[in-house]
Amino acid sequence: MKMELLQSLETDHEDAFIPRPPSPMMRAKSLRHFRLDSDEDGTAWITFDMEGGAANVWNETTLHEFDLCLEAVSRDSTLKTLVIQSAKDHIFIAGADLKAVRHAPVRQLETMIGLGQKVFNRLAALPLHKIALIHGACLGGGLELALACDTRIVSDSDRTRLGLPETQIGLVPAWGGSTRLPRLLGLPAALQLIVTGKLLKPSAAKRAGLADFIVPRERFEDFVHHRIALGAPKRRLSLTGRISLLPGARHFIASQVKKAVLTKTRGLYQAPLRAVEVTMRASVAPLPKAMEIERHAIQDLALTPATGHLIDLFFRKEEADKKPWPRGVALPVHHAAVIGAGVMGAGIAQWLASRGVRVLMQDISTDALARGMERIHGLLKEGVKRRTVSRAQMRDALDRLSAEHTRVPLTHEQIIIEAATEDMALKKKIFADLAARCGPDTVLATNTSALSVTELAGTLPHPERVIGLHFFNPVHRMPLVEIITTPHTSDDVIATATAFVQKLGKTPVVVRDSPGFVVNRVLMPYLIEAVRLYESGIPAETIDEAMLEFGMPMGPLRLLDEIGLDVAAHVGRTLVAAFPDRLAASDLLDRRVSTGKLGKKSGEGFYKHGARVKRKTVKHDASELEHVQHRLALLLANEAARCAREKLTQTPEAIDLAMILGTGYPPFLGGPLAWLRELGAENAKLELQMLAASTPQPNAFEPA
Amino acid sequence: MKPLHIISAIRTPFTRAGTVLAGQDAVDLGKAAVSALLTRGGFDPQVVDEVIFGCVGQPAHAQNIARVIALRSGIPEARPAMTVHRNCASGLEALTTAHAKMCAGQGEVFLVGGTESMSNMPLYFSRQAAEKFGTLGKARGIGQKLGALTSFRPADFAPIIGLKLGLTDPVVEMNMGETAELLAREFHISRDMQDAFALRSHQRALAAAEKLRAEVAPLYLADHGFHPVLADNGARADSSLEKLARLKPMFDRHHGTVTAGNSSQITDGAVALLVASEEAASRHGWQSLGKLTHYAYTGCDPRRMGLGPVRALDAVLHHSGMRLEQADVIEINEAFAVQVLAVLKCLKEPVCARRAGLDAPLGEIADEQLNPRGGAIALGHPVGATGARLVLSALDQLRESGGKRALVSLCIGGGQGGAALLERD
Repeated sequence: MKMELLQSLETDHEDAFIPRPPSPMMRAKSLRHFRLDSDEDGTAWITFDMEGGAANVWNETTLHEFDLCLEAVSRDSTLKTLVIQSAKDHIFIAGADLKAVRHAPVRQLETMIGLGQKVFNRLAALPLHKIALIHGACLGGGLELALACDTRIVSDSDRTRLGLPETQIGLVPAWGGSTRLPRLLGLPAALQLIVTGKLLKPSAAKRAGLADFIVPRERFEDFVHHRIALGAPKRRLSLTGRISLLPGARHFIASQVKKAVLTKTRGLYQAPLRAVEVTMRASVAPLPKAMEIERHAIQDLALTPATGHLIDLFFRKEEADKKPWPRGVALPVHHAAVIGAGVMGAGIAQWLASRGVRVLMQDISTDALARGMERIHGLLKEGVKRRTVSRAQMRDALDRLSAEHTRVPLTHEQIIIEAATEDMALKKKIFADLAARCGPDTVLATNTSALSVTELAGTLPHPERVIGLHFFNPVHRMPLVEIITTPHTSDDVIATATAFVQKLGKTPVVVRDSPGFVVNRVLMPYLIEAVRLYESGIPAETIDEAMLEFGMPMGPLRLLDEIGLDVAAHVGRTLVAAFPDRLAASDLLDRRVSTGKLGKKSGEGFYKHGARVKRKTVKHDASELEHVQHRLALLLANEAARCAREKLTQTPEAIDLAMILGTGYPPFLGGPLAWLRELGAENAKLELQMLAASTPQPNAFEPA
Repeated sequence: MKPLHIISAIRTPFTRAGTVLAGQDAVDLGKAAVSALLTRGGFDPQVVDEVIFGCVGQPAHAQNIARVIALRSGIPEARPAMTVHRNCASGLEALTTAHAKMCAGQGEVFLVGGTESMSNMPLYFSRQAAEKFGTLGKARGIGQKLGALTSFRPADFAPIIGLKLGLTDPVVEMNMGETAELLAREFHISRDMQDAFALRSHQRALAAAEKLRAEVAPLYLADHGFHPVLADNGARADSSLEKLARLKPMFDRHHGTVTAGNSSQITDGAVALLVASEEAASRHGWQSLGKLTHYAYTGCDPRRMGLGPVRALDAVLHHSGMRLEQADVIEINEAFAVQVLAVLKCLKEPVCARRAGLDAPLGEIADEQLNPRGGAIALGHPVGATGARLVLSALDQLRESGGKRALVSLCIGGGQGGAALLERD
C-alpha cells in the first residue's frame, strides 16, 4: 500500500507543534513532472513522468521539482530507502534538455550546470539506501543521476541502454558523471565510456560494473522489496581500479587514451580530449573541486561553435529520422523487391532483410544471383563475427530473402527498388516491365546515382509512383538515403518512401530531381578539382592530407580509388553534360580507366592497393596544404550554396545534413553551408572570384 | 467428391544424398520450396489457411516440421501448421489431408508438400549406451565419473543408422529391399528385366531433362563460393545394361536380384503445392493446374508392400468410374524396379491380379504413359517428398500434352498403397 507521502507529511504537521513546513514543501504539492509516494516499510518512490512527452529530460523545472522531492524525502526520518524510477515506456531519463542547452545564454547555462550538480550531490549525500530502477534509455544526465545512487537495477529489455554520450555532441559529463564514474569503474573503463560515448546494453552494463542487477521490468517492485531487506550492497573498487587512480597510473592512462584520441580525430574535436583531462583530475579531487573542474570544462566547450554544430546536427538527424513527410499518407512496407544482384542490389537486399522486410532479389542471371547471395552471406557473417548480428538474426535475414531469375509477379510488394547498371535505356526497359508486373499501388524506386529520375518516370503510365532512393555504398555502413522526387511524384509516394527509409534505420533527405542530386553534385566539382591539382603536379598524398586535416574522413583521391574511377567518370560525365559552363571532364580519369586502372577494385588508381602495399610517408609543404584545402573546401561550400539557392531540398540545413552523412563532411564544422556562413559570405565571394579568375575555364569557382 | 484445385507447384532440385544439398536439413529444403512457391506465384502468404507437410524422418530439432517451415517462410503466425506421416506417401498424404479438411469446412487454401533430407537422417545410440550416458551425466565427483566412464564398451559407440531402421518393417522384420526380393521370386521377375526397367528410368529422365528443370526452383548455396543448384543430379548419362549388371545384389548376396542400380536412390529434396477449393480459386482469380478428384489408401501384406498400388488404383478407378486406359499419364513411384514390374503384372494378368486381391485385372498400361519423365530410380526418392513430386510432375505433363487425367500411385512401407486421380479441364 502506497500513499501520498506529501499528504501524510502535511497531516502530521497539522497535529504537530512544528511550524508549517517552509514554502518548498507547499510548492512540492503541485509537482507536474514527478510523483512522490511512500510505503509502510520506509521506502519512498520518486517517479519521473515528464508532462506532455514520451521522454524524461532535465531542464531547470524538472531539476527544481526533483530537488523538492529530495527535500520532502530528507525531512521524513522514518524513510530508509529511496527508489527512483521512470513512468515512461522506453526512457528512464534521456539526459539534459539539449534544446535548452543549445540556445541558453551563458548565465542560464551556468545556473543549470550548477543546479544539476547541487541536486545530484544532495541525492548522493542523503543518508538512505538509494536505488535507481532503470528501464529504457538512461543517458547523460540520466546516468549521472543513477551514479549518485547506491544501487542500479536495470531491466533486461532491449530498450535499456546506459551511457554518457556527451562528448559526441561536443560536451563533457558535468553533473558529477566525470567524477563518479571513474570512482565506480576505475579510470580505464570510465574513460572508455566517456570518450567514446558508447551506450551499453544491460548485459554489458552489468559486466562493466555499472549495473548491479538485471531484473525483468515486471519484477522490479518485488526485487526492490527483497533487496531492501538485504540493505545497500557493499561495493569496493577492484584493486586494478584503485591502482588506476594512483597519481602515476592516472597520468599514464590519460596520456595513452589521449594519444589514441589524437590519432583518430587529428585533434579536431576538443570534447574527447577535454573529457580525458577532466575525468583524470576529477576522479581523485575533493568533491567541490571536482565539480569546479567539470563546470569549467563544460562552460568552455558549450560556447565553441563546434559544440553548437554538433548539437544542431543531432537535432537535424533526429528530425530527419523521425518526422513524417508533411503531406500524403505513408503505406507500410513489408514486402520489397530489389532488381539487380550486383554490389548495390545485394547490399540493399541485405539491409532490408536484416531490418525485417521480406525481400525478393531479382536478376536475370542465376550466376549473378549466386554472387549476390554470396555477398549478402559474407556481410551477415561479418556481422556475426563482430557480434552486431546474432546467428538467429542472420538466419532470419536469410529466410526473409528469396532470389529469383524468372519473371515472377510483383503484385504484393509495396516497393520495388531497381539497382541495375547505370544505363538509361536499360532502366527504361526494366521500369516498363516492372510497371506491367506490379500492383497498382507499388512504389517504383530507382537507386540511380546520377541519371534523371524525371526522364525515367516520364516513360511510364503512372509517373506519380516513381521515385529515386539513392543508397550509398557500402549500404550497411552509410547512414544516408537521398529520396529523389520528380514533378510527377505524389505526396503519398514520398511519404511512403520517407517512412520506409526511416524504418530501415537510415536517414532520409528528400531532394528534388536534378543532375547528381545533392551529394554527388556537391562532391563532383571538388573531385574534379582534386584531379586537376594532381595533374598540376601536387602529390596525391598532399591533396588527401590537406582534406584529412580539414576533417574529411578520406582524401578526395583515395575516395576516387574507393568509388572506382570508372564509376566516378560516369557520374562525372552526367554532371559535366548538365553544367558545361562550370565543369570539364577529366581526361586523366578516362585515360586511367582505359588503361585498366580503376582504383581499389583493380589494384591501382591514384594509389597502389593490396595487402602488401605500404602507405608512403610524404613530407608535406604547409603552404601547399593550405592552398589545396582552401580551394577544395571553398568548392564544396560553393556548390552546396548553389544547391541551396536552387532549393533542391526543403531546407538548406538538409544539404548540410546530407553532406555530413553522405560524405563524412566534418560534423564539427556543421556542413558546407554552415562553414560558408562562418567564413562570411562577402569574404567567400571575394576569394571565389579570385580563384575563378586564376583557374582555367570552365571552373566551378564562380560564386553561387 | 468435391475437387481440390492445385494452383501452383514447385520443387527443389532432387539430389543424391551426400551431394550438393547435404548441408541443408529438411527444414531448409522445405523452406526453400515454400518460398519459391510464394515468390513464383506472387502469392500473399496471408491467403494460406493452413500449412500441411509430409516428412518421414523429422529432424529432432524441428518437431512438427511443417510449423517450422511455415514460420521461417513468412506464413503469418496466426495460420496453423501440421505434419503428416504415411511413410513413402507422406507427400501425397499432405495433399489428401488438405482435401479432407476442405470437405470438413476447415479451410479453403492450403500450402502442402513434402520434405526430406536423407543426408541428415539421424544416427542413434543403443538403449544400453544411452543409459550409460545418463549415468555419466548424473555422476558427481571424480570417482563416480570415472566409474561411469569405465562402464562403456567399444560396441556402445557403434551408431544405429536411422535410415536403415526406417527402411525396415518393424512388424514383419523385413527390410524394404527384402520385400522387393520376395516379389522378384514370386512374380518371376529376373535381374535383367529389373535392370532394363532401371535403364529406362534413367533414359526417360535424361530425355526430359529440360522439362524436369522447369519443375525446379534453383537453390543458392555456399560451397566453395556460392553457386546456384539448378537441376536434379540423379540421372546417369553413363548408365548401361552392362554397368547395371555388374552391381552386386544388396539384400541377398547370393541369389538376389535387387541392386542399388535398380532401386530408388537415397535423395534430398522438397516439394510445395498451393491448393484451394473451387470457390477460393475463383475468388482469388487463380488459374488451376488441375484438380484432385479421387484418392484412396489401401492396405496389403507388409511382406509384399510393393504391391500396394494395385488395390489403391483399383479403389480409385472404382470410385471414379474411370477405366485404366482412360488415363493420359500414370505415375507409379519406382521404389524398386521389381516392385513396379510386379504391379504392372498384377494389373494385367488375371492370375497375378487375383494374388494381389483383385477380382479381375484392370488393364495394361502403355509404356509411353508410365513414368514418362523417369522415376525414383533416376530422380531419387526423398521419402516424405515423393508423393507431392508425382502430383507436380503428372500435372505438368498434362499441361504439356493437353491430356485430361493422370493417375499417381505409390507403394507404402508397412504394407499400404496410395493412389490419386488428377483431372484437368
